[in-house]
Amino acid sequence: MLDVADRTASARQRWPPRRPDARTLARAAVITVLLLFVLLALPQLLSLYYIDAMTQVAVYSMVALGLGVLVGRVGLVSLGQVAVLAIGAWVAARLLFATSMPYPVVLLEAGLITMVAGTVIGLPALRLRGLYLALITLMLAGAITVVLATVNFPNGGHGFTGYNGSSVHIPPIRRPSIAGGDPAYFRYAVVVAALMFLLAWAHIRTRPGRAWAAIRQSEPAALAAGINTTLYKLWAFALASFITGVAGGVLAGAVHYLYSIDFPTQDSITLLAVVLMGGAYSLWGAIIAALLLQLLPALLNNWGVSADWLTILFGIGVLQVLTTAPAGLADQAPKDLARLGRLLLALARRLAPSGGTR
Amino acid sequence: MTGTAGGVNAANGRVDVADLTVRYGGVTSLDGMSVTFEPGTCGLIGPNGAGKTTFFNVLSGFVRPAAGTVRAFGEDLLSIVHYRRARWGVRRTFQTEQAIEELSVFDNVAMVHEHSRLNGSSRVKDVLSAVSFVGLDVDPSTRVRTLSAGQRRLVEVARAVVGRPKLVLLDEPAAGLPDEETEHLGAVIRQIPEQTGALTILVDHDMSLVSACCATTAVLDFGKLIASGPTDEVLRDERVISAYLGTAEVS
Amino acid sequence: MPSWQDFQPFIVSGLALGGVYALSGVGMVVLYQATGVVYLAFGAVGAMGALIAWSLIQAGAPGWVGWLACVAFGGAITLAYGMVFGPALAKRDPLVKAVATLGLTLVLFGVMDLLWTTSGGESRAITLPTDNSGFMVGQVQVNWTQVIGLAVGVAITVGIGAFLRYTKLGTAMRAMANDREITATLGVPVRRVEAAAWLGCGVLAGAAGLLLADLVALDAATLTFLVISSLAATLIARLRSITLTFAAALLIGLVHDLLTPIQSLTNYRDMTPFVLAAVALLVISRRRVMTASREET
Repeated sequence: MLDVADRTASARQRWPPRRPDARTLARAAVITVLLLFVLLALPQLLSLYYIDAMTQVAVYSMVALGLGVLVGRVGLVSLGQVAVLAIGAWVAARLLFATSMPYPVVLLEAGLITMVAGTVIGLPALRLRGLYLALITLMLAGAITVVLATVNFPNGGHGFTGYNGSSVHIPPIRRPSIAGGDPAYFRYAVVVAALMFLLAWAHIRTRPGRAWAAIRQSEPAALAAGINTTLYKLWAFALASFITGVAGGVLAGAVHYLYSIDFPTQDSITLLAVVLMGGAYSLWGAIIAALLLQLLPALLNNWGVSADWLTILFGIGVLQVLTTAPAGLADQAPKDLARLGRLLLALARRLAPSGGTR
Repeated sequence: MTGTAGGVNAANGRVDVADLTVRYGGVTSLDGMSVTFEPGTCGLIGPNGAGKTTFFNVLSGFVRPAAGTVRAFGEDLLSIVHYRRARWGVRRTFQTEQAIEELSVFDNVAMVHEHSRLNGSSRVKDVLSAVSFVGLDVDPSTRVRTLSAGQRRLVEVARAVVGRPKLVLLDEPAAGLPDEETEHLGAVIRQIPEQTGALTILVDHDMSLVSACCATTAVLDFGKLIASGPTDEVLRDERVISAYLGTAEVS
Repeated sequence: MPSWQDFQPFIVSGLALGGVYALSGVGMVVLYQATGVVYLAFGAVGAMGALIAWSLIQAGAPGWVGWLACVAFGGAITLAYGMVFGPALAKRDPLVKAVATLGLTLVLFGVMDLLWTTSGGESRAITLPTDNSGFMVGQVQVNWTQVIGLAVGVAITVGIGAFLRYTKLGTAMRAMANDREITATLGVPVRRVEAAAWLGCGVLAGAAGLLLADLVALDAATLTFLVISSLAATLIARLRSITLTFAAALLIGLVHDLLTPIQSLTNYRDMTPFVLAAVALLVISRRRVMTASREET
């Protein structure tokens, strides 16, 4: 029809819109400045205790990122991400002890192997409905914890598991040659994390991200639009597992010694809680989640307050987020984040050893 | 957008349904449904629970029938995997809104084009053409979240007609829309076969819309076909009237 | 490979454990059917109840007071949760409702660790008077607590089955499982039926917590996550059939304990619930085809 052809032609002239996109530029500027600050200035300002905590924040920001992609972007709930982290850490530790491969290669391999494991395990589970998928991942986490408790983390021994039960002197897991000290390793961890965030961002802005948005909205509609939902869900699992595997590698170097009790089932639940509280949809939410998970306990520990209060807080936080979110498990803009921020600030003020009583 | 390899052609631009039966959990939603949909726009009506959405679900591949076949454009539709049917040319709208809020109008429509493995170089043209066709007068880069209900419906119709669809399934596209927008929708739907070469099946409860758009109509009741033929004849058919009145009395 | 002799005591303990898993599983299935909530806090509630009982007994109260407190706590906290968060989340996806109960789990977990710290090496135990008396079946020693474990599982399964089928309240619960909205329009006091379901489930959680604390260990983390075993049983039963839940629970308990004397597998026996549930779910999901939304016209 002439009319449609006419309108199409004029629409084509105006496409693609050449918006100056001030918002995107501003956001990029803020992120760059923040990143530079964290890399250059922060290590000078913090004590070793807090540098250690912030390294953990970098590690767990990646884990939260993976879970955030699954929950916030695709709508899949995994209650076993800490078990995946453990796998990544295990693989990295094994490689670091058994070979002298450069650190980035080890991280990459840990990520890839964990990705394969995550995909293989995820494939049959993907046919399950959301609730069953979540429950199966919970049980899977339990199973992996059992295996880890028996197999143990590598400690420099030989054989496939690299575990020597009767070792008297256990060597620490090595760090990259350029980042042996804690402040340097912190920077290393932040750089790796930034790369992972970039990887996730690239996915979200292109075809997989759009497909995930369709799947999250409605799987039948996505299928009807020609999207191979199983493939894209698997892709999300693969991405989350890869990122978490790399995080495991960074964790191995950070702590030097790994024990299976460091990865209890409960942590997977707490992780989901903070990811929901921080906002599963936005990438910033992963950073907030990591701060909640690793910085707050360090602060409380320093002030002599039990970390159990945080567990309780996170439990309440989950209930709060779920009852106020209008639809879906992950709201796009966590409304109570501001309220949470104020709550934490109040808590911090009250617990600060100096600075006046209230 | 006409004249493709499997395009409208009296010989094979039809959809032949033979003996289609669907059973789920003790309920027989479709009971030996046999009907032929001729090229053009066809209506599919019936009281609530008659099996219309079930039929669409069979065509989309979400439900496996217990028996029966569907031949569309000369091919066995049921043998195609569900996510590949869009590539083949099945397009569908749903009763509940499915336009993706967080993406732009362009991305919503382009997604269907992309996943139907259509030629990337003609994507912009095809998408903008579809958007113009449905008469959606907004900047294609607008987020769907900011659009009104009627505009979102048009986005969904655009998704259904972009590229080279063969079979367009519209499931109550006018539900909840004011008269003016329903009329506009009707005008768009009427032109789909001519513009795209696709066979369009329209499910709706709005009889004026159905008679305005559809040359022929089929009627389902309790999963069985009770009438089919030219729309105005079908709407006057006694069996059809009593089927609707029958359920009206109960509810 | 161990001999038949070696397996026998584990058959007994496995059945007892399975019985308690059945008790938990049936409780969770009924609640799910009535409200759509998978009560993942079941284990944590039982754990805290058991710890409360322990504290009371340590403080000198007679045993039965402790046990009553345990069961009462289970009922009370579950009812409270259900009455506050049930309506708030009533229209949401079952996944959301289940994740919400994880919130409760975390809260209880934190409270338990605060009030009854685990670090410090102090090990606690709950002993029931029935632990010390028993009888012989063939060559195996069976104590009365184990009998209670299995018996309670059987009784609850049969009892609840009958309750659901023959009582007014039970029928109302089954109706709600089918369609809450329609049931409400039929004049059924939906809120009251839900309250009954929550209370009943909570009471069972307390009872299960007490028995598991005796049969397994009185440890917050262990008891909280033992819910996974019962959960596996409910998943095998597709969260629907209580008879299937019962059978699956017994199977899980048996397989788990029977692996104990097998040297090569004993360390992995805690994987039993996962493996069984995963296999079952995969077999079941093979036959399912995705169905679109529930709107059928």
